[in-house]
Order: sequence, then structure tokens, then C-alpha cells
Amino acid sequence: MGKARAASCSSSSTESSTQIRRNLSTDLRLGLSISASQQDDPFSLPSYLCIFNVSVGDDDQASDWPPTKPLIMRRALEEEENEGSSATFFVKVYMEGIPIGRKLDLLAHDGYHDLIRTLDYMFSTNIIWSEMDGSVSAYSETCHVLTYEDKEGDWMMVGDVPWEMFLSTVRRLKITRAM
Amino acid sequence: MSYSSLPEDVLEHVFSFVQSDKDRNVISLVCKSWYEIERWCRRRIFVGNCYAVSPRMAIRRFPEVRSVELKGKPHFADFNLVPEGWGGYVYPWIRAMAGGYPWLEELKLKRMVVTDESLELIAKSLKNFKVLVLSSCEGFSTHGLAAIAADCKNLKELDLWESDVEDPSGNWLSKFPDTCTSLVSLNIACLGSEVSFSALERLVVRCPNLRTLRLNRAVPLEKLAHLLRQAPQLVELGTGTYSADLRPDIFSNLAGAFSGCKELKSLSGFWDVVPAYLPAVYSVCSGLTTLNLSYATIQSPDLIKLVSQCPKLQCLWVLDYIEDSGLEALAATCKDLRELRVFPSEPFGDEPNVSLTEQGLVLVSEGCPKLESVLYFCRRMSNDALVTIAKNRPSMIRFRLCIIDPQTPDYLTLEPLDVGFGAIVQHCKDLRRLSLSGLLTDRVFEYIGTYAKKLEMLSVAFAGESDLGLHHVLSGCDSLRKLEIMDCPFGDKALLANAAKLETMRSLWMSSCSVSFEACKLLGQKMPRLNVEVIDESGPPDSRPELPVKKLYIYRTVTGRRIDMPGFVWNVGEDSALRLS
Repeated sequence: MGKARAASCSSSSTESSTQIRRNLSTDLRLGLSISASQQDDPFSLPSYLCIFNVSVGDDDQASDWPPTKPLIMRRALEEEENEGSSATFFVKVYMEGIPIGRKLDLLAHDGYHDLIRTLDYMFSTNIIWSEMDGSVSAYSETCHVLTYEDKEGDWMMVGDVPWEMFLSTVRRLKITRAM
Repeated sequence: MSYSSLPEDVLEHVFSFVQSDKDRNVISLVCKSWYEIERWCRRRIFVGNCYAVSPRMAIRRFPEVRSVELKGKPHFADFNLVPEGWGGYVYPWIRAMAGGYPWLEELKLKRMVVTDESLELIAKSLKNFKVLVLSSCEGFSTHGLAAIAADCKNLKELDLWESDVEDPSGNWLSKFPDTCTSLVSLNIACLGSEVSFSALERLVVRCPNLRTLRLNRAVPLEKLAHLLRQAPQLVELGTGTYSADLRPDIFSNLAGAFSGCKELKSLSGFWDVVPAYLPAVYSVCSGLTTLNLSYATIQSPDLIKLVSQCPKLQCLWVLDYIEDSGLEALAATCKDLRELRVFPSEPFGDEPNVSLTEQGLVLVSEGCPKLESVLYFCRRMSNDALVTIAKNRPSMIRFRLCIIDPQTPDYLTLEPLDVGFGAIVQHCKDLRRLSLSGLLTDRVFEYIGTYAKKLEMLSVAFAGESDLGLHHVLSGCDSLRKLEIMDCPFGDKALLANAAKLETMRSLWMSSCSVSFEACKLLGQKMPRLNVEVIDESGPPDSRPELPVKKLYIYRTVTGRRIDMPGFVWNVGEDSALRLS
């Protein structure tokens, strides 16, 4: 990804900003410029380039040029990112009382919310996990708790650790009836 | 006989034929009684800057309004220049309107922060609410939408154009009651996650007046045919993802469904396009007037095939994959074209990835006699091309050119593009909106100040050499309302010399320019009816007065400084000391 080449005036060194220094009573005249080193001909190319080619990387300039809206920029970035994402990570998912389990690709999900949505749909239920709010209590008859077996063989409730950490430690999932 | 002796209801009836805000404002200035009559029968207000007036004042003056349109953040917020938390909150307006406009029917918001609380308040308090348009808004989730769906019994339009909506899992679409049959327009294209397809389908089936349906990316292509068959009366359609396994049965089903939609005039969506499925829409192309392919990664040959079948096309938004060859085909076929937007597929690349140059735009300007609105991203331009375009299309109203590398000169002569843009403003006498790019000196601003008398909005970046440039614009552009500038060497002189001009404009944005903090203070003190706001996230601007101000937003207002400024925004007016940080 390239970045904006010409840095802003304000990110240039303090010398040229003191050149900008106001003398509020001066009248406007053609040829007025911010750099004292400007030649008589204000259109001489090298002068512009030396004013503007101060290549101080100003980090907050990076995303405001060119002026495309975030949706289009995001799409442009997605195209570049998606080139290599064909990895999968299937884990087994069992629901209590049902002998035949399912398999689910964890890497096809963005995070916990996405995963819960898929499981809700797959098993036609409402899943309880560690980030639930009180509103699900109305459906307590059809609720299940989502747990996972980690690398150490312990059964833990889903949702307590960051998603990436979860991915690195989960071995399989189990959906049990709510206590 | 005096006009003021006409009975009030006769005058009111006459005024009802006058819709334009400007004309209404003129009417209200004729005399006191006309002012009174007019204000009681004004039904629609447009507030271009939500901080220019307070909701209380608006409601007090116009008590019987049915439709309100508000805009919040400055335009450059679209390009990440306005930090999070800057403002633009709609809640105070909604709270005021819940009491003051109980019969409000329409609310259209742009670049505002809308919360679920605001949406819930609308749903609860406005019993006749019909139209909600949230354009480039943020701050709300599908919980708020659920409230609107559930409680607005007469909802006709719900449009979430390019808004940033949080999507906790929740089936908000199914909150539309079975009794809701009034929907005319639904645009959920910006929603990130899945909506319940069965709820969507049931909604579509029971709303026979549905004319506009813009789906989000999550709706699979296989299901689109099904929806279309339930709503063959659609005039505007946004597809979901336009990709599926290549199967003849899916294709024929889709093509059949499209051919049943005899009223379709507008198409959009087309995420993840599989080109083999494009011919499914060919049957509707002959009637299409609007085609939005901003997200469609379709290469030029397929684009040419598509566009060549749309002779009635008036508006095309497309990625630069269309290339010069595609624009040539467009110019040959679409003689009714009014608006063209070409977006960059790789805005951050250093090298051009497509063969799109100034030639494409020149060809369209030659071939399309009704062309009046252009937004064009490209990598090279010449004065000759701009002069040709200007002479071809003197009826141009909006011309926005973005040459991707800042300060790119005329690629043929290496000169600045002053003459080219000068020709644009000279020939296009009705030009209302202009965006500049490329290498530009003060001379282009001299042309603009001299010729662009109808110009209302000007966007400038990396241009000019001195305050003279800004002075030309502020002193010459009689119709100027909005001016936005980034990275230009404009400083205090022009700003202070034209302080009075700023009160005739809606707003001025300047970032990364050379305006001093002292000048801002002076301006703020001199002009009590302007809010002079300095945005600086690194600390109080008066602590480093030798540095130019980073971001400056100046707007006229009748309500004084706003009370919701975050810690990084300073209002530098008045004699009172700055807020302590």
C-alpha cells in the first residue's frame, strides 16, 4: 500500500512554519509565499516541490488521502487481504443428548458473536455463553450452555478469553442443558 | 386593494404551492403577517448544519412541520478527518421534536450520531412516523432498528444509506408486525451480518407497494430469485452477494426472476461478482436508468457487455476497472447519461493497475450531451483534456476530479493544471460544485474567483501557494456556501480580510494549513455569530501558539458555542478564557 507522498504543511519543520508567521497588517500581493527562499517567478516548479516535498511521515495523514469513503477503502483492502485466506480449523460440536455430532470451521467466523449465531442456527436453540445479557432468561426453557474442551482437557465456558486465544486452545465444543 | 387584506387561508393556500426553502424564506420577509402565516404552514425544514440553530428555536418558529432534514459532521468526516466523538448528536433534536412535533412524519439525517435511545424515542413518541433516512450515520445498533420496526405502524421508508450499524445478533426484521403492509422502501445494504431471510421474505410478500429493496451482502444469490418472484413490482433493487457455484439451474432461475421485473429501473449491490451470472440481468438492462457497480469487481469486457445494453442509463457509478475502453462504449451507447462516478479499485497503489486515463472522461464528455455531474478518480490529467471537457459540456453542474497522487502536474507539459480548471469554471457557468486536484498554483483560484459565480461548494487539497489563493475564492465566489481545504499554504491574512464572508457561508473547514491560533482567536472575537472551533487531539492549541492550528472548523450559528464539544475541540471565540484542559 502506498501512502500520501506530499506531507502536510503543518508536519513540515518549524522553520517553514515561522515563515508563515503572521504580520496582520501586510496587504496581499502577488508572489507572497510561505518560503523566503522562493524565486521571483512564483510558478517555478522547483519551489513548490521544495515547499511540499518535506517527507515527514505524519501518521494521521495516512488514511485521509485519496478521498475515498471507508466502505470503498475497506473493500479495496479486503481484496488484498483475502488473497491467502483458505485456512480452516474444524472442531467437533456435540449437543447433550444427541449422539451424532456436527463439525464447525472456527476460522470461518469473525469472533464469538458470529460463532454463537451459527450454533444457534445449527442447533435451533439459544446458546448461553459468558457474555449473555439478562434478556435471554425469558427463553430459559430452550437454553443451552456452550462449553469447550481446552488443551489441558478441562471444560470451560466459552467467551472468557480473547477470540484468538480461544482459537489456540480449543479442542472441541459441547452444548449442555442449562442448569 | 392591499395584499395583506386577503384572508389568511387564501394566502396560506397560495403559499402551499411554494415548496422551495429559498422562496419560502423570501415570502416570510415581505411583512409581519406574511411571516406569521408562512411559519404556521411550513411543513418541511432543512438544517444544513445541526449546530447552526437550536431545536427549540426551530420548533418555536415552525410549529407545524412534518418533515425534518438535518446534517451533522463536516463532509471531510467521510475521509477520517474528524475524530471520533466530535459531535453531531441527534438526540437533543429528537427529544425536542418528541414534544414539539408529535405528528412528524419524516426524518432525514446525514453524518449524525444516532443512538438506540434516539430511535426508541422516535418509535415511542411519533405516532405518524413514516420515513427514516440515516445517511452515513453511526452510533446505533439493530436494537434501535427493532424498536422502529415494532412501533412505527405506518412506516413507509427505512433507508440506512452507508451507515455504520452495530449488529448484535437479533432478529430485528421479524419485529415488523404482521399488520405492517405499508413499506415502500427498505435499504439495509450497509448491514454487516445476516438478517433472517424468512422474516425478510414475509415482509416483502405482505408489502405490495414495496418499490425499493436494497439487500445486504449476506443475502445469498440463490435466494435472490425467490425474493424477486415475490416482488416483481420492484423499481429499485440492490442485490446481495452476487456469487454462487456455477450451476445452470441457479442461473436460469435467476434470469427468469429478473425477466419478471418489468419495472426495474435501478440496480446496485453486486458484491463478489461472478461474471458468469451477469447475463441474468440482461433482460432488465433496456429499462435501467441507474446502475451502481461501486462494489463490483467486474473487468472491462464484462462491463462493456453490460453497459452496451443500457441505452436509457442516466447514472453510472463504477470502479475504474471500466477503463477507457469501457467509457468509450458508455459514451457510444448511453446518450442520456447525466451522472458518472468512477472510483479507484486500488487507491493506495503506487502504480496504475488499470488502463483508465483522462481519455475516458474526455470521450464521455464528447458522447454524452446531458452529462452534468462527474466524480472521477484517475492518475493523470492534462490541461488540454480539461479544456476539451469544459468546451464539450458547458452545462456541467458538479465536477469533482481526484488525481490520486497529490500535486500531479499536466502529464504532457509538466505544468500546473490551472488553465484546465480555469476552463472548467469559465465555460461551465452553472457549476455548483467543484473539487480540485493535481498541481495547482494561486492562478487557479484567481480563475475560480473570477468566473465561478454560481459555485456553492469547493473542495481543495495540496493546492495553491499563498493567501492570495484563498482570498480570490472568498472575495470572488458570490454563491459560496461550503469550503473545505486540506494541506494548503493558506494562512491568516485571507481569512481575516474576508471575515464577513464567512457569515454568508454555511461552513469552512481548514486542516493542515497555515492558520495561526492567534488569528483564530481574533476571528472568534470579531465575529460573534461564527463558531470558530479548533480541533486538536494532542492538547490545548494555545500551549503551542507558534504552530499552525491543525484542524479548523468555522460555521455560522445563531445559538452561540455548542455545549457538547469533546475535550479536543476548542471554541476560540469570546473574551472568556479557553476552557481549561
